[in-house]
Amino acid sequence: MNNIILAWRNLWRNRRRTLITSASVFFAVLFALFMRSLQLGSYDHMYKNVIESYTGYIQVQQKDFWEDKIVDNSFPYDLQLDQKILEDENVVATIPRFESFALASNGPQTKGVLVMGVDPEKEKNLSKVRDRMVKYRLTPEAIDRIKQDPGIPAKVKELTELFENSAYTNASRLQLDLGITDKDAPDIMPAVERHSHFENGAIQLGEPGVWVGDKLSEYLQLGIGDTIVLISQGYHASTAAGKYEIKGIVKLPLPDIDNKIVYLPLDICQGLFNAENNLTSLALAVNDNEDKAILETMNRIKSLLSPELRLMEWREMNEVMVSQMDADNKSGMIMIGILYLVIAFGVFGTVLMLTAERKREFGVLVAIGMQKKKLASIMTIEMLLIGFLGIISGSLIASAIILYGVDHPLVFKGEFAKMFEEYGMEPMMAFTGIDTYFIWQVVIVAMMVFLAIGYPVRKIFGMKVVNALKA
Amino acid sequence: MIWKTAWKNVWRNKVRSLVVIISVTIGIFGGVFAVAIMNGAIAQRVDAALNQEISHIHINDKAFRDNYDIQLTIPDGEQILKEIEEMPGVSAVAPRIQITGMASTATKSAGVEIIGIDPEREKKVLNLYDTTIPGTGDFFESESSSLTAYIGQELAKELNIIRYIVDEDVLAALTGKEVPGEVLNKLTPFVGIRFKNEKAFKKALKGSLTLKEQRNFGKSIRDAAWSFRSRSKMTLTFLDKTQMQTGAVFRIAGIYDVRNSMFEMSQVFVKNEDLIPLTGMAPGEFHQLVVRIDDLEATEEITAALKDKLPDLEVMDWKEIQPDLAMMTDMVQRFYAFFMVIILAALAFGIVNTMLMVVLERTKELGMLTAIGMNKKRVFSMIMLESVFLSLVGGVLGMIISQVLIGITARNGINFSNYQEGLEALGYTSHIYPAISMPFFITVTVLIILTGILSSIYPALKALKLDPAEALRTD
Repeated sequence: MNNIILAWRNLWRNRRRTLITSASVFFAVLFALFMRSLQLGSYDHMYKNVIESYTGYIQVQQKDFWEDKIVDNSFPYDLQLDQKILEDENVVATIPRFESFALASNGPQTKGVLVMGVDPEKEKNLSKVRDRMVKYRLTPEAIDRIKQDPGIPAKVKELTELFENSAYTNASRLQLDLGITDKDAPDIMPAVERHSHFENGAIQLGEPGVWVGDKLSEYLQLGIGDTIVLISQGYHASTAAGKYEIKGIVKLPLPDIDNKIVYLPLDICQGLFNAENNLTSLALAVNDNEDKAILETMNRIKSLLSPELRLMEWREMNEVMVSQMDADNKSGMIMIGILYLVIAFGVFGTVLMLTAERKREFGVLVAIGMQKKKLASIMTIEMLLIGFLGIISGSLIASAIILYGVDHPLVFKGEFAKMFEEYGMEPMMAFTGIDTYFIWQVVIVAMMVFLAIGYPVRKIFGMKVVNALKA
Repeated sequence: MIWKTAWKNVWRNKVRSLVVIISVTIGIFGGVFAVAIMNGAIAQRVDAALNQEISHIHINDKAFRDNYDIQLTIPDGEQILKEIEEMPGVSAVAPRIQITGMASTATKSAGVEIIGIDPEREKKVLNLYDTTIPGTGDFFESESSSLTAYIGQELAKELNIIRYIVDEDVLAALTGKEVPGEVLNKLTPFVGIRFKNEKAFKKALKGSLTLKEQRNFGKSIRDAAWSFRSRSKMTLTFLDKTQMQTGAVFRIAGIYDVRNSMFEMSQVFVKNEDLIPLTGMAPGEFHQLVVRIDDLEATEEITAALKDKLPDLEVMDWKEIQPDLAMMTDMVQRFYAFFMVIILAALAFGIVNTMLMVVLERTKELGMLTAIGMNKKRVFSMIMLESVFLSLVGGVLGMIISQVLIGITARNGINFSNYQEGLEALGYTSHIYPAISMPFFITVTVLIILTGILSSIYPALKALKLDPAEALRTD
């Protein structure tokens, strides 16, 4: 206890030095935590987007479907199996799907599209495609109406032109694009929402009709009520062709999919491909999506499946994205590594000076009878205190920023946002909450301090008292 | 005089100065090298886009890019082509037909852009022909009685045109590549099996090799077992000018590899003369002109001239065609600056601390200097210079080391093959040649000097506050 008190007092003998050294540690911890939180948060967000709007965490598929995504590699929808899977403790719902590739056309315009046969009711448990329906759109008519509304400020009116024809699934993005502050929102937003309101119809099992992605509808120049023609190859090489009325427009947060997705009711889709009652995948919605829980769930369900079927995990289904995130993650870690190396030298330099400066003091202490061991332990405690001062203050400030950031992700606007979309990413960066990565940063900084302590400790033990007194 | 004193002061406490210098060296080296890798990747991306994918300027109907309507050809195309060809600064022009369609084989199909080209002219605007994978054919050079198409590696994989076969030759090739016998033994059960595509082969490998073996040898094994049957064929289907479905069987002329999955997946090249009879278009009709110019710097000037000349057509330079390319460069440059500033800020803490120590240690000496008449300005600049020297020595060392390492690695490049799939999906190659421009070094040097100056201000002010009489008395 005495040692700690002595160390603490020593710290404040040279307040400035203590503070500067702590500040460098503080800076490293703050920056590293901030960056990690943004990086990890963005990955989580992207994984969540793709998993929740497309693949799901686990899928049951015919054993060759993933390698060879053809309609022939579909499997019969077995309700008994479905029931058995639903009995698993971690499975919330099963979502049957039939997906394939087709050529979509509207007279002169054609485009390869991803046709997804879904059960709209069951999709609620996973992709929530209904939440992705376009609710507002700044059509030229909507912009006209907004411009004629005297209650809307001129700045907002100007901005509408920049976003002509943009579609929105929620009001907050619309508000952001139009530069309306939260304070003004209650006065302005209701009118803007009313003017730009976009009406969608539903699709239902048994009723022909489709929902198409926003980007796709733009490309094909098709709107609600128009007809889209789908041509493809059906089950056992039969021809698949059909025309359907567009009932609604969806906007998915994955631009790569948004520009090619066509949702059909499951049974209509099976009919189109002449594969009645077959599925290409049965996605599972789960309660607990931690890696361990997913693995356990997969192991339990595996035993229920016939050898013709197999389970796919989200990582396998999104290999490319996982590899991209991994590359980005590694580059972020290298940057933090460089930063830490620099800070480590800074800390070491301080320790070096501190030792040289106090050589005489050490000599005196040992000469009047202080054990070298005790002196060394005081030094160690001193250094640890400096380190922890930096670590604790750094993590506190970082936590405050991160906790705020979790609820307020960075959302990009304008040109910058467009570039993100070109790369198939949603124009935003999310923070991840306080998690194990916090501990890692703290451990690394603590190790740095420990390494630096080696120098003064060695100096103390190798000290010749007479020489030290003369210093 | 002050310069000399400051320089000598740096070396009075060698260990302490070296610690600071080394930390600056490491920080600058790490920062510059990381920037060089990113910079290299972007430069390669831009290079690939300009030389293999889009060239410099595109000319087409104003509404053509909205949805690639087959009706929207360039009126009097041939005439315009000739006129542009003769413009100063233009090195080549190539006509293109572009149609959206579907490519399919017996079992698979995919949406593609069918691009009709004149191979001889096309070779002058883009060197895509140079990326043909050896053994898969060529860029429409050999005579063929059938219709032929030049397709990307990713599409070939998707359509099961590329298969994976392990045979004795493959095993022999792998032995040459130092794949251990143990792994080869595990591969023998696959001899004679024809894997339809990469995924199926990967799955089989996954079943029999350990994770480590897959990581170390997976790629070499896949490259060796890669197999292409010459004269494979596929069907291209699309709507003709009368909106009737049409199509034909095309044999594969060659397979290209530009290390950009999206491009490889979607761009199918065929000869104009093969495509025109299917489309109902008249001979000599086309949708787009691709222009290559002599000097990249003159892009804006020539684009403007073309816009004046062709007011009824859309003229776009590469920056307008792929705005993300220009923006990416811009954004990354900003990111570099931010990254370097963060590193320098971290370094500044160390420098401030050291300089502070210097001032406190030399209290008596500084007092003496002031007492014998050294003015405050000189004291201040002496300390500031010492700090600048400290950081500059480390900075220059760091830059020299990074330049040397960049030189070494730029010769053969660095291969991030573990991330190949992910990077190529974004259009970036995984084999990166680090590169840095001289102006960047100048910027860094200025930043280092600034850091030195800024971090000396506080310690130097401390020194100025010393009362000479008081300072002389300290011991």
